[in-house]
Amino acid sequence: MSIERKDEFDRDEWLAERDLSPVEEVYLISLMWLDKRLRIVDYLELLEDMYYKTNLQMPKSHTEQYNLDNKFWYWYPLYALGSFSTIAYVVAAITGALLGFYYAPSTASTEGMRTVAYSNVLFIMGDLNFGFFLRSLHRWSAQVMTAAVFLHMLRVYFTGAYKEPRELNWILGIVLISLTMVFGYTGYLLPWSQLSFWAGQIGVEMALSIPLVGEWVAQLIFGGFTLGEATLQRMYILHVFILPFVVTALIAVHIGIVWMQGIAEPH
Amino acid sequence: MTDDTTTDGEPRTDGGTGIVPQDDQAPTWTERKARTQGLARLTYEYFERSRREDEDLRHESDYVERDVLAFPTWPHEMIRNLAITSFFIGAMFFISAAIPPHIPSPANPDATPAVILPDWYLYWSFGLLHLDPINPELALLGGEKLMSDRVYGVLANLVVVGFIAIVPFLNKGSARRPVEEPFWAALGVGGIVFAFTISVLPVQNLVAETFPMTVPELFTLTFILPVVAFFLTYSVLKTMREGYMFELNRRYYRLRPPK
Repeated sequence: MSIERKDEFDRDEWLAERDLSPVEEVYLISLMWLDKRLRIVDYLELLEDMYYKTNLQMPKSHTEQYNLDNKFWYWYPLYALGSFSTIAYVVAAITGALLGFYYAPSTASTEGMRTVAYSNVLFIMGDLNFGFFLRSLHRWSAQVMTAAVFLHMLRVYFTGAYKEPRELNWILGIVLISLTMVFGYTGYLLPWSQLSFWAGQIGVEMALSIPLVGEWVAQLIFGGFTLGEATLQRMYILHVFILPFVVTALIAVHIGIVWMQGIAEPH
Repeated sequence: MTDDTTTDGEPRTDGGTGIVPQDDQAPTWTERKARTQGLARLTYEYFERSRREDEDLRHESDYVERDVLAFPTWPHEMIRNLAITSFFIGAMFFISAAIPPHIPSPANPDATPAVILPDWYLYWSFGLLHLDPINPELALLGGEKLMSDRVYGVLANLVVVGFIAIVPFLNKGSARRPVEEPFWAALGVGGIVFAFTISVLPVQNLVAETFPMTVPELFTLTFILPVVAFFLTYSVLKTMREGYMFELNRRYYRLRPPK
């Protein structure tokens, strides 16, 4: 009789009674050796669990339940516009953060009519590795976001998705689309090119024509009645500091409400 | 007196921490509600009532509640969503690489460019600033305009955005599809057409040069075309409506036969 404790799960015996090929035997022995030390079986179980969870039959969506697919499948892309604008927003945020490393909002003159801001954009486009592409991507993602937001609003309008109980989210959407346009406008001014300058001029005039508080608004947003260093810096801070926080928070609330209330499907 | 008893001779049960557990003296929520005054009390009462109403509705309803009360987003749609997201980001990369933006000349306050335009998504707003021909002149003020043209333009922006914001409070009911509400769908189409025509208004000089059209004619078209689009959409949807509603009702009553 051996002093050695009898193994309850005598693997050697189990191995012996199986008629295994050398390859199988080596594989099994190394698996057992590893399992004894790393508890691989637990992780396999986890994977198995995940597999079955992901393959569970999920509850039917509205369209499946009422067999509306034949009627509605061609509308589905329109229901992705909200996601598209969010994705474009994320892309714009990432590229914008990268562009921010190479840009300074200053109207100090460098050479001729060029300012520091304008020269920085020239540097990004001409000298920086992938800079032209980076700026292109930032600009295009902003354009795509704005377009997607407009189309998203049209989809919501024409499918009546703004109706009770979603009125507040509609108004929040109006606020968001307005802020998106302000985002675009402030960004449009940053290169301090000829287009930027005259778009800014229109902005100042619009602000000034507001009755009673016009001058105050112009001072607050544009830093004065004529365009200059203060204007560019205010646009910059709005574009990279204030709006990102405000818009991100509002997008989170907007999507949170959609999550809470569910997607309004056409009936 | 020892540490184990309080001043009135009862044994200490709080373990000497001074934290007294809730006993009968602590007010229950109902008692708190009864003691509360004014708006706070109203809030309590409303919450209690609405909770009871919910409960009653749930009892009356024959609807079988699902565990997931919306689109399940995880995980069976995740692969599809990832594919769509990747495709979309890829499309943006492609456009960015294919059509990179170029930069205009640097800002020059002394040289006004021939065409001043904001980015395309502000064209509609920019167009609304050019409404001075319809800024009313009041006879009461001796033909003077009530407000300057610029104020009028800014006000027009506020009116348009304000109207869109209150749409949910004007159009109520459970109808969802355009055919069910021809008026609102037509209003939407008219609005889209107006967004385009009003965007053309700021470049009226260019249009007048390119097309055989005077500026007043263009101004008229700006408002006529949306109205035309409205009536066109309205009549088309009205025509579609009957057959469509029949289909819809048939489907609806097949699913929920009348009791």
